Amino acid sequence: MNNPQGAEHQSLSELDETRRYFLGRGAGVGLGAMALNVLGSESKNGQAEGATGKLAGTDFAPKAKRIIFLTQSGGPSQIELYDEKPGLLKMAGKELPASVRNGQRLTAMTAGKDQLVMPAHSKFRRHGESGATVSNWLPHIGAIADELCFVKSMTTDQINHAPAMTRFLTGHHLIGRPSIGSWFSYGLGSSNRDLPDFLVLLSKMKRGSDQPLYDHYWGSGFLPSVYQGVKLRSAKDPVLYLRDPDGLPRHLRRNMLDGLGQMNQLRFEQTHDPEIETRIQQYEMAYRMQASVPELTDVSDETESTFELYGPDSRRPGSYAANCVLARRLAERGVRFIQLFHPDWDHHSRLKSWCTARCRDTDQASAALVRDLKQRGLLEDTLVIWGGEFGRGVAGQGKWDSPEGGRDHHPRCYTVWMAGGGIKSGTTYGATDDFSYNVAENPVHVRDLHATVMHLMGINHEQFSYRFQGLDFRLTGVEEARIVRDILA
Amino acid sequence: MAILVMKFRCLLLLFLSFCVMTVSTMAADEIDFNRDVRPIISDNCFACHGFDKGTRKGELRLDQREAATEDRGGYAVIVPGKPEESALIERVTSSDSDLLMPPADSHKKPLDQKSVAVLKEWIRQGAPWGQHWAFAKPQRAEVSEKSELPIDYFVRKRLAKANLDISRPAETHTLIRRLSFDLTGLPPTPEVVASFPESPTAKDWDRLVNSLLASPHFGERMAMWWLDGARYSDTDGFQSDAIRTNWPWRDWVVDWFNQNKAFDDFTVEQFAGDLLPNATVEQKLATCFHRNHMNNGEGGRDKEESRVDYVLDRVNTTGTLFLGLTLGCTQCHDHKFDPISQQDYYSLTAYFNSIDETGAAGGAAKPFLKFKSPYAQRSVDEASALVKATESELAKVQKQAETEFLPWFIRQVERVDQGFRPWTTVIPERLSTTEGYGLSRDSDGIIVSSPTDLPQDDFVITVAKTGLERVSGMKLEVFPHSSHTEGKYSFSETGEFILTNVKLLVRKRGSSQIREVGLTSAVADVEGVGKDTSYKTVRDTLDDDPRKGWTTRTKPSDVPHVAVFALADPLVLAEDEEFDIVLMQRSLAPRELMGRFRLSLTDQRGSAVRSLKPMPLEELAELRGKSSAAGSAEELLGAALRKRLFEQFLEDHAAWQAAKQRSDLAKGQLNAGKKSAGEQNVMVLSERKESRKTYVLERGVWDKHGALVDRAVLPAVLERPNSDVATRLELGRWIVSKDNPLTARVITNQVWQLFFGAGLVRTPADFGLQGESPTHPELLDWLAVEFMESGWDLKHLVKTIVSSRTYRQDSSVSAELLELDPENRLLDRGARFRLPSWMIRDAALQASGLLNESIGGPPVFPYQPPGVWQDQFMGRFVYQPSIGRAQYRRTLYSFWRRTSAPTFLFDSAMRRTCEVVPRRTNTPLHALTLLNDTTSLEAARTLSDAALAVASPNDLAKRFEFLMMRILSRQPTKFEADNVLLPQYRTARAYYDRHPAEAATLTTVGQLAVPEASVVADVAATMLLANLLLNLDEGITHE
Repeated sequence: MNNPQGAEHQSLSELDETRRYFLGRGAGVGLGAMALNVLGSESKNGQAEGATGKLAGTDFAPKAKRIIFLTQSGGPSQIELYDEKPGLLKMAGKELPASVRNGQRLTAMTAGKDQLVMPAHSKFRRHGESGATVSNWLPHIGAIADELCFVKSMTTDQINHAPAMTRFLTGHHLIGRPSIGSWFSYGLGSSNRDLPDFLVLLSKMKRGSDQPLYDHYWGSGFLPSVYQGVKLRSAKDPVLYLRDPDGLPRHLRRNMLDGLGQMNQLRFEQTHDPEIETRIQQYEMAYRMQASVPELTDVSDETESTFELYGPDSRRPGSYAANCVLARRLAERGVRFIQLFHPDWDHHSRLKSWCTARCRDTDQASAALVRDLKQRGLLEDTLVIWGGEFGRGVAGQGKWDSPEGGRDHHPRCYTVWMAGGGIKSGTTYGATDDFSYNVAENPVHVRDLHATVMHLMGINHEQFSYRFQGLDFRLTGVEEARIVRDILA
Repeated sequence: MAILVMKFRCLLLLFLSFCVMTVSTMAADEIDFNRDVRPIISDNCFACHGFDKGTRKGELRLDQREAATEDRGGYAVIVPGKPEESALIERVTSSDSDLLMPPADSHKKPLDQKSVAVLKEWIRQGAPWGQHWAFAKPQRAEVSEKSELPIDYFVRKRLAKANLDISRPAETHTLIRRLSFDLTGLPPTPEVVASFPESPTAKDWDRLVNSLLASPHFGERMAMWWLDGARYSDTDGFQSDAIRTNWPWRDWVVDWFNQNKAFDDFTVEQFAGDLLPNATVEQKLATCFHRNHMNNGEGGRDKEESRVDYVLDRVNTTGTLFLGLTLGCTQCHDHKFDPISQQDYYSLTAYFNSIDETGAAGGAAKPFLKFKSPYAQRSVDEASALVKATESELAKVQKQAETEFLPWFIRQVERVDQGFRPWTTVIPERLSTTEGYGLSRDSDGIIVSSPTDLPQDDFVITVAKTGLERVSGMKLEVFPHSSHTEGKYSFSETGEFILTNVKLLVRKRGSSQIREVGLTSAVADVEGVGKDTSYKTVRDTLDDDPRKGWTTRTKPSDVPHVAVFALADPLVLAEDEEFDIVLMQRSLAPRELMGRFRLSLTDQRGSAVRSLKPMPLEELAELRGKSSAAGSAEELLGAALRKRLFEQFLEDHAAWQAAKQRSDLAKGQLNAGKKSAGEQNVMVLSERKESRKTYVLERGVWDKHGALVDRAVLPAVLERPNSDVATRLELGRWIVSKDNPLTARVITNQVWQLFFGAGLVRTPADFGLQGESPTHPELLDWLAVEFMESGWDLKHLVKTIVSSRTYRQDSSVSAELLELDPENRLLDRGARFRLPSWMIRDAALQASGLLNESIGGPPVFPYQPPGVWQDQFMGRFVYQPSIGRAQYRRTLYSFWRRTSAPTFLFDSAMRRTCEVVPRRTNTPLHALTLLNDTTSLEAARTLSDAALAVASPNDLAKRFEFLMMRILSRQPTKFEADNVLLPQYRTARAYYDRHPAEAATLTTVGQLAVPEASVVADVAATMLLANLLLNLDEGITHE
């Protein structure tokens, strides 16, 4: 209790006020069940100004004020996209040496089958001054390589989608922990009171995906549900139940809410239950959201050059590219955590036609987002992260020497890239062995990534915890997590 | 350690000791080990000096008195009576950062002065230890005031220490409402409120409580509690999220609560009904409880890994729901705080490790019980009646349509006589490609591509003028040509073509946005087989998946081939709109792109574009062409053509289409009902012949086997020789043994929480050392003992609670009391908290009179916004709300897809793992749900209709009374009526009088038809009033 600004000096009623806003009165997750390490008294920045987070301030000046997380679900192939291994050509069709495989578990799909090396189906090019190698399937991302930091030594410990994505986004492979976005919503809140702190955008796809995007990926786990990600849908209602029914004009809704507020106020005067005041405020915020969300999703004020930058698909609402445009609009509005999900990167077969289709969906728009943030001066305090739950194995699944071949899941190494807020641009960090099978240098575990991201947002991941069932939980878990300082600007 | 909970505890302590001093009933400095000391050392020390030997440091444990006070070579950590000689005090106050405890690298903050003072005082008093309260058997404390109910005695005793007393009783209507929600989950009917005496006696209350306890809705209400804890769901969760049919177990739970059979048997049957002698089918059904976990059928999963997950989930659920222990912590290591070792944990898993299961999901998730539900026939009957009703409605509409057919037919004859062209060739505005092929127009509307080396491309044909009023279908012809390889269809090595995807994109000129138009069917003259056999059918061009597509390879290659695509809805192109037809050819076979093709469009719907047969109008045209004789057109028709033409006519008949859709849905519901009336596969427990060996799993990893373990119960909770607890059945009996210190307390606490919003232990999932102590320990124990001694009689427990003055207190609070006791921990007032979201929905149904009160049966599908399942599954599942009375069932019966919980239930339990802590937040998203959810709006409209029926617009006061009684169980005050409701009504009424069309739109909601034009504005304005009242804090709150 060494924080003079912390809760220690708040009166009970002040405490209750904060708590009430977030938890709801008498909630099971009451004060008794929760705890928060209020961070150091040396907080010295404007991060929390006007914001609503539970942290009194950040530990140190944050490099990034917001995050755009471009989640590629299914396990994009690092071998085709980023991690060039020219030596594989010589090994094509040969059994993967046991010394390389070294006991790695396989999924039930390829266990017991030959592990024959399949070289990349794509070609690689060096880009920019940094000379980063990027696949010819991702020409636009290649073109901004000098803005990016490629981490080629990402590693995880889960080999199946749901546990691995749950690990990637909540720090634990079992369901029940808060997602990374909800940690930030909880800790930092946002300065925009007309939009939620944490918004989620899913690409609208025609093909039924094999991996559903479970809502616990953006859930609040044991944190109060107010911190969960709000899905921004490409539908008549961008947020569920947002639109008033047809036939109810806005001025009548306003009138009705005035009456509602009046009667709620009368009840408050009788019962003195502060929860009623909160409810009145929440109905008012709902009313404001009815204006602010459509204003956000209505892109008619964007110039033609925006759509040219993000590519033709950006004109189709619900596409990944259109969501990238929305992500930039959300960043402009001060939303803390913006998470896109693009599914269907699970290329067990016909990788060449399948993976290139997903590259076409995402390449131009991902690059455009980084460019656009930069030209608007937002990149310096926006952290952009591109990546999925794991990588893919070097062995061919199906026939290694036919275009019908694909790759199985591979947790030991994969590539993630980051840009903006506090990240050293034009760098490549870490390396894999000649087979892109094991990390050869500078491994970055998922929890190291989490620690680094928290650091960039100004939070000490070791101190930021939440008490649940008698334990203090952290995003980075109980094992030692490392801030990857070499990639910090 | 600067954590809020600590601060709060300190503040509370300060506040309590202040009260204690002023009342001076006990010594100000009396330290209670469990309440005051254990939380400090547990929070700060046990992680390294506790039960877990794996992480213990310095060979020191502080969770036992002997160890903490032992001589460590000239010193002891704790020297009873002598704080100044105790190393503990020295270390927690040291100014040397190397010596200070807890150490910096533990990320715990140094102890605050208050905690240090507590520790010093405690040691000074001799460092008395105490068994953790929850591990000691509950005993009834003496109730010295016999004139009082024990609950009130304990509560008032506690309040007296703070110089407080319990509050006055709540107003009669409020209390009726509170009881009704608490015991049935529904608000009272106005009749119940009206017939209740104005100054009720104890007997009157007793009668009301008894009638509510006897209501079949009691079982439903309690079942909702139990289902959240039991993580009940209608699907597996995870990848394929297969549907399971475990709902008969849900009905078993409702029945049990209604019959009020003993709770200990309830427990035993759920743990091991299958192992009871001569087990009945219901007793086997009960064990579904332990199969309600999620199933993971992900393709790459090792089934054994999944099976182990299920076993662990059963133990964790047992821990949370019955024992209030966080057993999940011991999966990977000994518990840091509670005396439970990893070995203890895996010994418990041994009881569940030999179920005859494989870890498979969906239909392979054996063992199953074949069970015929007694509740299913009712839904069959309901659906049969609905089918009848919708069929007769359809017949009526069809009859009307018959009369409209002739004029239409005559127009069509005129049309074909002027020359009917089934297809209109596309005249492109522009031709383009994505990658670089060239496209050009040839004669006859044929489009020609010029070869390149590019392996794949998309052909984009932009159309600005169609020459049609609307577009409902599209035809693609692919031509062979002598310039192609082998005179086939393309310039590729093989001469074949593969069409992978077809899209239709509409663009408004000058706008940046495009919208995609859905295609619903694709048919072709022939479908071949590609070299890669996944290229085959034309239907696969609709799914946006480049790995599949249409080829004619292996079929005749010297004739044109044709495919026809149908639009989901006809496209009417606005003056300033144009559209792109995108023909994607992105197969793995390089350069297999069409060399010559033609596109044409039609305005005909239905079979005209869903088959390649001549269109009905084409047939008609042919017939007209043949017949030289003029005469009645209809006479010329054969029966078959007449039928086809009538069907063609109906394609555009909106009323018929709507009636047909309802009739089809009703039939679908009937089929589903019949299926559910047959034998259902319910997942249950049964032992396999040969039991599996059980191991400690190192770090909790499923295939990292450590030491072999036997079945054994938790010695820290209630020790029993292994031979006495060798089976799952004996485990169940151990759980509800009267010597088990936890179960009765834990369950009583959960029941208390239902009615007070918070438990007597405010951490209902954790009765261990890190949990909170009870606010009223004597009361909790008294109730727990009473519960056991009554024969685990749940209704008795409920009645005991709700009969108390404590329960019946008014829930309003003064500013002073709020300041003193913000969380009502002293129970100085009634509980005021927002109702669970499911209760809010049920209340709207009940208040409006829409509620379908039937009990049990297969799940139903309440309204959800369109697309909620498609979003998540990229279209693999589509949610179809139930129609007819099935729409208005209680929320308990709503279909629960684990990966996409019902959207109208804001902050509910997730039903993934066991949950006993209610989620209760207050956010704008909840406000939006209650304002705009279809159920809420349909209830408002129904209330409006009923209000109009009881009072004319000249008697608005009566109408307001009616709505208030229905929704809030009380009359409006004069102020509310005159200053809120009346102006609200007048404003809305004035608007809708001027805008009757909008009134019609607003009021046509759910399954309700548009009101009579003469009253539509009145209905709309009154509906908005109901919408307001349904959103009131008072209406959605337990008061």
